[in-house]
Amino acid sequence: MDAGSVDRVFAALGDPGRRELVREISTRGSATATELAAGLPVTRQAVAKQLAALADAGLVAGVRRGRETRYELTPAPLGDAMAWMAEVGTGWDERLDALREHLRPKP
Amino acid sequence: MEVVREVVFPAPPEEVWEALTEPERLEEWFANEVELDPRPGGTGVFRWGDGEERRATVREVEPVERLVLDWDDAGEVVFTLEEVPEGTRLEVRETAPEWSTALELHALAWTPVR
Repeated sequence: MDAGSVDRVFAALGDPGRRELVREISTRGSATATELAAGLPVTRQAVAKQLAALADAGLVAGVRRGRETRYELTPAPLGDAMAWMAEVGTGWDERLDALREHLRPKP
Repeated sequence: MEVVREVVFPAPPEEVWEALTEPERLEEWFANEVELDPRPGGTGVFRWGDGEERRATVREVEPVERLVLDWDDAGEVVFTLEEVPEGTRLEVRETAPEWSTALELHALAWTPVR
């Protein structure tokens, strides 16, 4: 488990504007900051900044093509999040087994 | 999104409550070293043998019924106790604040990429 990377994913997704960008990229398959800004009431610079934050969290990856960078989603971090959830569940299974043992009526 | 576990223990609620709130009993099943002040606003420190340490703040305490801990590193755990004929039903509900967002995106974003 890498709790730090999960935290970064959640921090990146904690912003409604960034979630909107992830949805848009998901719908389009890939997109540049210019394309994304065209459909939103924000500047290209603002979109580029949000894309950089998403890229830092590993949620999107940029591929440079000519003068522009095209961004695509990288699903792995959400996979990490799912793995984290499985880990939390397993942790509780083990602890609750230990609690059951602890509470077992003594003969 | 959250992780939920439900277990029935053959013990009265008072005993399960003690196992959840008394540090020396928590050390028997939850972590290797436990400090806990089980009052609203009280703090908890849990240390495991592998060096992991987690800190929490007690948010709600309703003796023998409900205990809510806020993990300092994110999320919360709600313990709910209920007396049943077999003993005590304990529900553990651990929530991470942004799970629902991640899962919503999971549904939205996962398929088109594959």
